[in-house]
Amino acid sequence: MEIAESMAPPLNIAVIVKLEPDFSEGNVSYNSDGTLNRAETKSILGPHSAIATAAAFYAKVKYGAVISIATMGPPIAESALQRAQLISDAETLHLYSDRIFSGADTLATAEVLKTGIKKMEDPGTVDIVFSGHRASDGETGQTGPQTAWKLRYTFLGNVISYNIDMKKRILTAKRLITLQGTPDVIEEIEAPLPVFITVDPSYKSVFNTVSLRLASVKYQKEAEQRAQNYKNYLKIFNAQQLGVDSKFVGLPGSPTIVYKVERIPKARANRRAEVIDGSDRQQLRMAAEKIHEIVGRVVNQ
Amino acid sequence: MAASTTLPNTKTTARISENASNSTNQRESSYRHLYIVVEHQDGKPIPVTLEMLGEARRLMDNFNGRYSSSEKVVAVVLGNNIKKLCEELIYYGADAVISVENPNLQYPINLIDTKVISQVARDKVCASKISPEYSEEFKKPRYMFFSADNIGRHLSATVLTELESGLASDINKLVIEDLEIKHEHKTKGQLVRYEKTLEMYRPDFSGFLWTTILCLDNRNPAIQREYHPQACSIIPGVFAPLQRDPERKGVIVDFNPELEQADKAVKVLNRQVTKSPVDFDSHKAVISFGRGIKDAPEDNIKLIVQLANELNAEIGVSLPISKKPYSVSEPVSSLYLNPDRVIGTSGRKVAPALYVAIGVSGAMQHIAGMKESGFVIAINADTDSPIKDECDIFIKGRMEDVLPSLIEELKKQKQSMEVHE
Repeated sequence: MEIAESMAPPLNIAVIVKLEPDFSEGNVSYNSDGTLNRAETKSILGPHSAIATAAAFYAKVKYGAVISIATMGPPIAESALQRAQLISDAETLHLYSDRIFSGADTLATAEVLKTGIKKMEDPGTVDIVFSGHRASDGETGQTGPQTAWKLRYTFLGNVISYNIDMKKRILTAKRLITLQGTPDVIEEIEAPLPVFITVDPSYKSVFNTVSLRLASVKYQKEAEQRAQNYKNYLKIFNAQQLGVDSKFVGLPGSPTIVYKVERIPKARANRRAEVIDGSDRQQLRMAAEKIHEIVGRVVNQ
Repeated sequence: MAASTTLPNTKTTARISENASNSTNQRESSYRHLYIVVEHQDGKPIPVTLEMLGEARRLMDNFNGRYSSSEKVVAVVLGNNIKKLCEELIYYGADAVISVENPNLQYPINLIDTKVISQVARDKVCASKISPEYSEEFKKPRYMFFSADNIGRHLSATVLTELESGLASDINKLVIEDLEIKHEHKTKGQLVRYEKTLEMYRPDFSGFLWTTILCLDNRNPAIQREYHPQACSIIPGVFAPLQRDPERKGVIVDFNPELEQADKAVKVLNRQVTKSPVDFDSHKAVISFGRGIKDAPEDNIKLIVQLANELNAEIGVSLPISKKPYSVSEPVSSLYLNPDRVIGTSGRKVAPALYVAIGVSGAMQHIAGMKESGFVIAINADTDSPIKDECDIFIKGRMEDVLPSLIEELKKQKQSMEVHE
């Protein structure tokens, strides 16, 4: 196990997470027009945030990393921090919560998160910040890289695995690059710490030795204990405690505004459907013939 | 050129103060042109690059006519051996290309690319070579486009953070308009006119709502701030490229970036082409499923897999399915409730000979990913679903009932065909 290489300073990790609507059946509620019914939908730690948190846990198991989880949101966002602690066995939970943060666009959110991560630097510099691929409600994927640039950290996106040379403080990572009309590429890169990583949805931690698996179990047990008493690990900051400039956060700090929201107009019908009754065998037989005609015709070409 | 106050389509309002309008004109003359960040692979443009150029050309032709100006469509290219690409970009609609050729820029790396593009965006010399008439006051581009993919999505975020302006992502419609805005913070509740504002439309995750994002200067006296460029990332496959025209003329400007050692800290060790386990392109038929599986997710997916096997089809899903909304067994979940299978603007675009949409309502963002299919069959219990307007055969019924019968019919016919052969 590569833990505690005595000469190397410990690895400090931060994860930024988000409380999001729970899109799972039974928890999500849609309006009759197909849009999300936010009032009736529960909130959870976003699935991409959960993956980012799992990526941080990998560093705890493999390198003994110290983990802080941070989120900006209303008091209820504590639940996302608790869940993230259960996944990662985090030592510290940060909630940045203030009315003046509300209405923030991604840039103003990044300002708060950057300031929070800077605050974690008291004992030592944060070496890696993880964030999720994108939020499942906003889906912009911007807040991570914006926070990275504000921190002046090297940004690495779509990371599917990583390892660290603890002595040299260099990270190597694999990234998945998917571009329109070109074959996917897996790129291997190296970068000196500190880095900011957004984790690809396909990321999976692999604990492939007995000692890593044992360490993983040990930390998981500790995580359960900690998450039960998560409030002992929780620090809540308002704008003043955080020391942000009110002009750069919330609505005043947001370059963008939502001007209008409308239903997407129904496009002109592109095809005219022949409607058939699915319980009518005769009609289904004709559909099957049509299918064979198309697929078969192409096969014969 | 300062914007005229007697433009067509302009609602002049007495409440808008003359001073505000004058200072607007001074301010906005510092921001010129539409810059497009080009994506390419080894000198070959990714399709979205040409699509962005096409839309930029249409927007700026309209803009220049309307405001009697001559602002340019400027393509920004980073790379190695990109001379030919620069010419191509002009053939596809760019007035000017800013070319940054450097061995360190062979592959996209966020850190160095952000530095270089931000330098380009602020460079007065480049701007003066592109159009001397606007070079005096040039500070930054007026508008900026990136592609909404693995590279452009992150690059747009870091560049716009560096340029201290706002960003909208995943845009599929753009309009330039003079708008009168009254906003608690932006205008301190006053009605203020924002000229030449880029309305950026983005479909939300449901695919049913369109949100228009604006990037606006703060004109509130207490928090005055300028936010330019107005920038966005654009969904690949949405806009049409122009016809290639080798007669089209433009200028190519070389730019020499100032790089420090630290900017080159990220090294690419290895690049390997990988095949996604999901392969739509080599199958003649694609079957997709959506939230209609909800009554019996596990069993319904099994039926869909059976149908796919029968037709040798690849399986796709609608966007909501990729969020793993149902509890199914772990193998089924990781294999099928998977973002890699999403068809639509948030996923892949397919055009098989046969497309079968099962329990898919047909949100716009899904349709965009399959509308070029040869023949489309929908299986859906709800005849009011939008998918009905996008298919050739609509089989009305619950998939639990329809699929077993359909599979049986297909099998029967196949057997009889084999007998005949």
